[in-house]
Amino acid sequence: MAVQGIWSGTISFSLVAIPVRLVKAIEPRGVSFHLLHSKDYSRLSRKMFCPEENTMVPPDEIVRGYEILPDKYILMTDEELESVSPERSRTIEIVEFIDTKDVDPIYYDHPYYLVPSKGGEKAYQLLVEVMRRTNKAGLAKFVMAEREYLVAVFSRDGALALTTLHYSDEILPDEDMSPKKGKIGAEEESRMKKSIEQMIEDFNPGKYADERRKKLVDLLATKAKEKALVEAPAVEEEEGEGPADLVAALEESMRKVKAR
Amino acid sequence: MSRTFVDMARGRLPLSNLEKDLYPSYGFTKANILEYYRGIAPFILPHLKDRALTLKRYPEGVEQDFFFEKRCPMHRPAWVKTAEVPQDDGDKIRFCLVNDLETLIWVENLASLELHVPLARAGSPWTPDSMVFDLDPGDPANILDCARVALILRDLLSRMGLASYIKTSGQKGLHVFVPLNRKDTTFEDTKTFSKAVAGIMQKHYPALVTAKMAKQERIGKVFINWSQNDASKTMICVYSLRAREKPFVSFPVEWKELEDLAGLGDPERLQVVHSEAVRRTEEKGDLFRDVLVKEQKLPHL
Repeated sequence: MAVQGIWSGTISFSLVAIPVRLVKAIEPRGVSFHLLHSKDYSRLSRKMFCPEENTMVPPDEIVRGYEILPDKYILMTDEELESVSPERSRTIEIVEFIDTKDVDPIYYDHPYYLVPSKGGEKAYQLLVEVMRRTNKAGLAKFVMAEREYLVAVFSRDGALALTTLHYSDEILPDEDMSPKKGKIGAEEESRMKKSIEQMIEDFNPGKYADERRKKLVDLLATKAKEKALVEAPAVEEEEGEGPADLVAALEESMRKVKAR
Repeated sequence: MSRTFVDMARGRLPLSNLEKDLYPSYGFTKANILEYYRGIAPFILPHLKDRALTLKRYPEGVEQDFFFEKRCPMHRPAWVKTAEVPQDDGDKIRFCLVNDLETLIWVENLASLELHVPLARAGSPWTPDSMVFDLDPGDPANILDCARVALILRDLLSRMGLASYIKTSGQKGLHVFVPLNRKDTTFEDTKTFSKAVAGIMQKHYPALVTAKMAKQERIGKVFINWSQNDASKTMICVYSLRAREKPFVSFPVEWKELEDLAGLGDPERLQVVHSEAVRRTEEKGDLFRDVLVKEQKLPHL
């Protein structure tokens, strides 16, 4: 069965347009926990709380404010937010090609794969191959989930990989990080070079695993075997609500059923 | 372990422990079970076809432990069709597809008395081809109360332009099916619609109906379980046996018949055992056929 795409459209530049699907390239494997009430093991939910009135706030009383001065806000509605959102788009438009070695890894945000959709296989293969031989990456703009992303498209193991990039103004300056330049002695330099060289290996990340996760999974397996399970009470469902149209039509039909 | 061989179109199939009584208080051996499924095969197979089967196995009979098995057993014969279906947690599971008599017999030889299948086919796991209302009576309510609720549901759905079909669960409840058979239906649609219907039913018949899952809400009422309309849920397949004290079957009933039986006031009359199931299907054919083919669109969504 084909992998479910997150997005589908075309990747294009000049006269080329290749139908593709975007699929995720990583699956975080962290162990996550639910917060439960210790008295009855109910799943806890988050509610919005107004400390002023000491009460829960229903969703229709929640608005969005940008804090411009302490305790001073500019209100922003959904419509206003939408008005600045980019148009939905079905293309990943490559605007320039760059040398892969020029991409500074600090810009990398989130990796995906691009897979060819029906009819795009041949052009896709050609692009993968040419980008590989020329060591070029495509820099592209791309709208997904109401955000415009800057992305880099790479040729990787016979396929296209896409990595979203941070915008340059998100990268913090490193001026303060590096100490003032001093003189480096030739002997010190060669000593350090030597100790680095002694530790050189091929890049093989498979050697490393999240040890805490491993132990946690083992612990969970042991506890599951010991049947140390607690059970949540049956979930209380909300009153049957639904789309206003549907509820109105059901009420009308119900009236007729009862009138018979 | 005793072994027998049966010759089938695909070759010789070994069967084990045929003499073992799997319904001890009634007296129904594995041979009887295989015989039942062989007889009902022409009717049940279209309903199992291309659906990811969850096996519910009772190797020591209905009075002993059972286990669910989603993954199609690795020791399956080469001709058993399977399909990979993505799960909620992102994993994929390879399920058995019971698309022919041989597979049905093989599955029953594993003592999977109950056959549970999703509301969608394996090739389109996010497209339900029917919407279901699982009517579950909370003691002291019984199947007759379910029948009353089902009849109101039928009228309500019919006013909404939707035909519905009913079967017994083979346990204590009834299942109302609304065939959809459209590519554009989603589980979100069926869930939204069925939840709204359950809510309206509860509002208008508060003494008879609850749409709430909580156990204490269900006492003496019929719980309309709309949450079965979910890609991760399965329903007992129509014509499947149930693991009860007797080999009851989840069996389709005509609405007219349900009206009559509801009036008689005998809950036992609503249960169908294996022999009656075979006889009635031979007489009336598959009353659930429309569920597989009738196209309907949920209005007001």
